[in-house]
Amino acid sequence: MSWDYFFVQFANGAVIGIIYAMIAVGVTLIFSILKIVNFAHGDLYMLGGYCAYYTIEFLGFPPLAAMAVAMVALFIFAIVLERLMLTPLYSDRTERKDEYGLIVTFGLAYFLRNSAVIIFGPFALKPPSFIPGVTRLGNLILTNDRLVAAGIGIALIGGLLYFMQRTIWGQALDAVSQSRDSASIVGINPRRFNSFAFGIGAALAAAAGSLVAPIFSLAPDMGVLPNIHAYVIVILGGMGSVTGSIIAGVMLGEAENLFTAYFPDPTRAFAYSNAFGVVILMIFLVFRPQGLFGRRHLRME
Amino acid sequence: MRALHIYVLLAAAALVLVSAGQLNPYWMHVAIIAMYYGILASSWSLLAGSVGLFSLSHMAFAAIGAYTSQLLINWFGIPIPLGMVAGVVMCCVLGGLIGWVCLRMSGPYLAIFTLGFSEIVRITIATEDGVTAGMAGLHTDQLFPDAATRLPYFYTAFALLAVSLLLMGLLVRSRWGLFLRAIREDEQAAAASGVAVARFRILAFAIASGFAGLAGGFYAHYITIITPSMGDLNEMAKLVVMSVIGGMERLPTAVGGAFFVEFLLEKLRDLSGVHWHISILGIELELQNIDQWRLPVFGVLLLLTMRFARNGLLTPIWLQFVRLGEKRSRAPSAAPDIGPEDSRA
Repeated sequence: MSWDYFFVQFANGAVIGIIYAMIAVGVTLIFSILKIVNFAHGDLYMLGGYCAYYTIEFLGFPPLAAMAVAMVALFIFAIVLERLMLTPLYSDRTERKDEYGLIVTFGLAYFLRNSAVIIFGPFALKPPSFIPGVTRLGNLILTNDRLVAAGIGIALIGGLLYFMQRTIWGQALDAVSQSRDSASIVGINPRRFNSFAFGIGAALAAAAGSLVAPIFSLAPDMGVLPNIHAYVIVILGGMGSVTGSIIAGVMLGEAENLFTAYFPDPTRAFAYSNAFGVVILMIFLVFRPQGLFGRRHLRME
Repeated sequence: MRALHIYVLLAAAALVLVSAGQLNPYWMHVAIIAMYYGILASSWSLLAGSVGLFSLSHMAFAAIGAYTSQLLINWFGIPIPLGMVAGVVMCCVLGGLIGWVCLRMSGPYLAIFTLGFSEIVRITIATEDGVTAGMAGLHTDQLFPDAATRLPYFYTAFALLAVSLLLMGLLVRSRWGLFLRAIREDEQAAAASGVAVARFRILAFAIASGFAGLAGGFYAHYITIITPSMGDLNEMAKLVVMSVIGGMERLPTAVGGAFFVEFLLEKLRDLSGVHWHISILGIELELQNIDQWRLPVFGVLLLLTMRFARNGLLTPIWLQFVRLGEKRSRAPSAAPDIGPEDSRA
């Protein structure tokens, strides 16, 4: 095993980690505002990928514009879903809200996944590359798609951080996540921010889906594993912490890729790399549910 | 006449048992599979509906029960019933262990943890193909190798379902059942009132997983081949759909949901030959292969149930049914209370 091999795996891990982080940030954002774990997040990611694919195929858009279309479309779609299905979460008359959120998002995932099999077909589709070809950095060879995915991913996450910390809307979002009642006292409409947070989460997932599509191709069940990875990351980074999710996302991408690269039995390495993340998840849930960084831990009521 | 519904149920059961021979092989197969899901749905509703532990590893336990049974038979040549018992014991132990490990978790954390566990089970079974035959599927021994029809399987499934329901029903109605529901309503308040919360959470996990293992073991020795996808997320989602549509807070409604969904899933296959031509405002739509929408339809039904009838579609019917005998004996002006014990069955 040479160092080159290590560096290639390391770079691949970083790219995947950034994609994971984009999905996980959405999960954690939705959790901090709506107080539910979105089990349908991986399927929104899948829908985003398909949406970009069909925009390229039928409307002839360039891939980057198609990604933007997918983000807007999923933003709107998620807000419609939230208005239709999740409003009982904000009513005082609803009992056992976490159970309601769980079953509804779980059912939504089931519906979206099975509809996708019918609408898009069970076979894998591959959209065109953002920029075809590969880039050489010394001995390090990376496909341009991975570089583009990493670049746009970093830009979007950076944009989100800027939005959350420096703009009035972002601060309002943060206020709602800290205390709904206090937020409404100072004139923030929490209901509007519920929709908004769900929409932003879905848009990020859609971006991740369209970035990943040229690398791994699209399939109706492509959302299942990233969804679980997003939970691993969210638990590692601390539920509700956006920065924690970003760091943990890159860490998990690295850990998993290096695990696959150096697992002694290569035929099983890929299968067990998924289990590896899940084992981390379970260990953390048992021994350190507040996550790696010990941040303020949002508990469900 | 009190408890009239029990006699009605017994009569219906007797009718089913007598007339089972009339079913054609296809519908008998559907009925057997429906009863398999019935055991799973009722035991899951015991866990999720009564104790409030929303576990997503129930189907994984069914797979563990199935694989344990067949692997032990392969390795040691034990008889099939013993293998099934071993599967149940294995699931009880593992289920208790999972229950113990996630004692401190609630709601979504528990769901994520059990989702992780079921993924690990699925990945392990799929990957260790030297032992489990992996994705190719493990061939299993038939429970009744000499049977000409499926009738013996039908009776076995019926008996297993009946015994499971009886045992779980007794548990739910007992003092322990009261403790379990108290844990669901408010864990801290239950603990403060003297309920040994930890012990009962572990117990509920162990019992429910044991029934899942029983169902899985039966399924393995009926179907003759088992694959890792038996315990995957789609199967789990199907189970959630069944229990929630029926009503996850009561065992009979969960079983009813399983029957309802399984029957409808098969019945909707009949739509495969249907072609619909619709023209709306000059737009011609041709609908065909409608039967492939069977699964998404149940997703929508689940969402609608959660949104508008959270107690389940069959719960109101069941409550009416339970009150069958009482209406006659009680004056109409009596307080509109629900029967003392029936409201929770």
